[in-house]
Amino acid sequence: MQIPFTRPQASWTPDRASRLKYLCLVPVVLYDSIFFLLPLVFLIWIGFWSVENYRAVPGFSIANYSDIFGQFFSRSRYAYAIAQSVWVSATTTLLGLLLCYPFALGLVFLVPARLQRFALVLAIAPFWTSYILRLYAWQTVINTNGLLNTVLLRLGWIDVPLQIIFTQMGTRIGLLHYLAPIMILILYLVLRNIDQTLLRASENLGATLWQSFWRVLVPLSKPGLVYCAVFGSIISLGDVLSGIVLGGGTGKSLLGSFPLFSTVILNEYAASTNLPRTSALATLLIAMMVMILVLGLQFAAVDE
Amino acid sequence: MSHASIAQTTAQATAQTTLASPIPMTTTDLELCQIAKCYGQQQVLHDINLSVKAGEFVAIMGPSGCGKTTLLNIIAGLEGISTGAVRLRGQDITRLPVNQRNTPMVWQHFALFPHLTVRQNIAFGLTLGKHRQREIAPKVQTMAGLMHLEELLDRRISQLSGGQKQRVAIARALITEPPILLLDEPMSALDPHLRVRMQGELKRLQQTLGIAFIYVTHNQNEAFSMADRIVVMNQGRIEQVGTPAEIYTQPATHFVAEFVGNNNLFDGTVIEVNATTVTVQCPQGKIYAHSEQNHAPGDRVTAVVPADRLRLTPQPVPAQNIIQASLRGCEFMGSQVIYWLETATGYEVKVMRQEAFSDSLALPINAELYLSWETEDTMLLGERG
Repeated sequence: MQIPFTRPQASWTPDRASRLKYLCLVPVVLYDSIFFLLPLVFLIWIGFWSVENYRAVPGFSIANYSDIFGQFFSRSRYAYAIAQSVWVSATTTLLGLLLCYPFALGLVFLVPARLQRFALVLAIAPFWTSYILRLYAWQTVINTNGLLNTVLLRLGWIDVPLQIIFTQMGTRIGLLHYLAPIMILILYLVLRNIDQTLLRASENLGATLWQSFWRVLVPLSKPGLVYCAVFGSIISLGDVLSGIVLGGGTGKSLLGSFPLFSTVILNEYAASTNLPRTSALATLLIAMMVMILVLGLQFAAVDE
Repeated sequence: MSHASIAQTTAQATAQTTLASPIPMTTTDLELCQIAKCYGQQQVLHDINLSVKAGEFVAIMGPSGCGKTTLLNIIAGLEGISTGAVRLRGQDITRLPVNQRNTPMVWQHFALFPHLTVRQNIAFGLTLGKHRQREIAPKVQTMAGLMHLEELLDRRISQLSGGQKQRVAIARALITEPPILLLDEPMSALDPHLRVRMQGELKRLQQTLGIAFIYVTHNQNEAFSMADRIVVMNQGRIEQVGTPAEIYTQPATHFVAEFVGNNNLFDGTVIEVNATTVTVQCPQGKIYAHSEQNHAPGDRVTAVVPADRLRLTPQPVPAQNIIQASLRGCEFMGSQVIYWLETATGYEVKVMRQEAFSDSLALPINAELYLSWETEDTMLLGERG
């Protein structure tokens, strides 16, 4: 038997047929057009311009892209830079999740409820300090003769200073410091919304703590983990400051001493007069980010 | 599915249950000994003693905050106790961790795993141990048959109705063939019409499986319609344990008499005691009771009269107990009518009668009527504690 039930119309929701809803959409459309769509369209468009006599000439030419992809698989510096970016971004995201997930778990399950808000504020406080200042602060810590190396040498744990600064490990540290507060916030909110009765139910059915964690808690926090991964990899791909200030521009990683793709774009922009090709490179970076976003959202939606 | 095959799967399930966990010589399945529980300074359970026999359906009933859910959590091991002991089939499980007890619970809002299918939810308890996949599948199939869930096994939890969710929750709890099933207000999230049907199904299931069910509720109808024994709790103490009939006709305390809801309570003083009858002087008049208990003249007592034992007549009738009162209102619940009357002293009296709709309409509001009842229907309780 079905009991018919009609939801009462909330008074503040405009009627479907009302013209008012178009009016309400105006600010959103304006905002997105001016701050998102317009620059993006320009960027992509300029990517198809060409350069004559050191001057960018509007038009539609795929010369920039054929230039970039022409030698893409034969020692192209763009290909190396993209590979470096993908590697650094992926490893940074993974490190971020490995650090922030346990932290958020601790916040939700170990910190008493009345202290949680305060602890959360402390956790995300670094977000409100200047990014560039944080990077300089890290320089003093991870410098060859910086705080970390001094302490480790004094303790006798190492014999030669660790080379962290001006490697991609330095880049990752800077990025992690930027990402962690937001990752923790996302994971905290997702974990807080998980019905804790489910964990009790799992235990009640015979699960050990470890089994409850892997079979119930992790699958249920999957959306949060995916959002964090998407967020972390997109930010890491786009960031240029950490790669320069802590990564030294062409920092060394397992792949070798290559700059990040974003650094290459910045250098091209600063040094060359070929704005159309720089735009084409930037378009490639944006395309990569959109791909991550689409894949991530699909992956997160599977179990909903 | 035909009835024959349901009966067959049911029989299989029963056979498996009894084979896997033979009931030992002792007929007491669960024993709670002198359990007390404190949260800091506040004591929430006092001296709880209860033994549940094998195959018994016990309902723990009481108002919210009386400690009934805490008691259930203690049996499941989800909460610890301050003093006392919990024994399950003779084994002391007081210190046994939750996940080693096999005392599964059916939760108030079912607590099904939303990321798993119905099949995976039911199998959950088996997949944690050393069971092989080919052992698990037939067990899940049998349990699905028992709970009429075969068609739904591959659905997601979000695609189920309330009643279906409840059946999945019960199947998931029973898959490990537990010696006992704990149910925490399992009907409260269901529609009223479904609730009544599930009561019948649950009782049948319990009789089929032959294991003890411990059912926590604040709903009297559920407790009275299903339970073999009812435990009435109030403020962390057990007020009375008894069969539904005992609880209904012989409330042990004022709380039980009031909580069970269909009783009228008259406070008064004993003025005369003879061989069979006790006379109580109440503000409403003299009330005659038949009592086995020892009462002496001068005792402060409360006379308890069930609402369905009261007769209502426009004229005085020859009866020992008779009180005049005026009609203030009536409620119709199907063929049952509840009358609310007020005595001359302003005391409210409730009367329940099985009556045809048309008869009840004949009585006008504010009509002066006579309430009468038999001496045997008056029960006396000692002074309020």
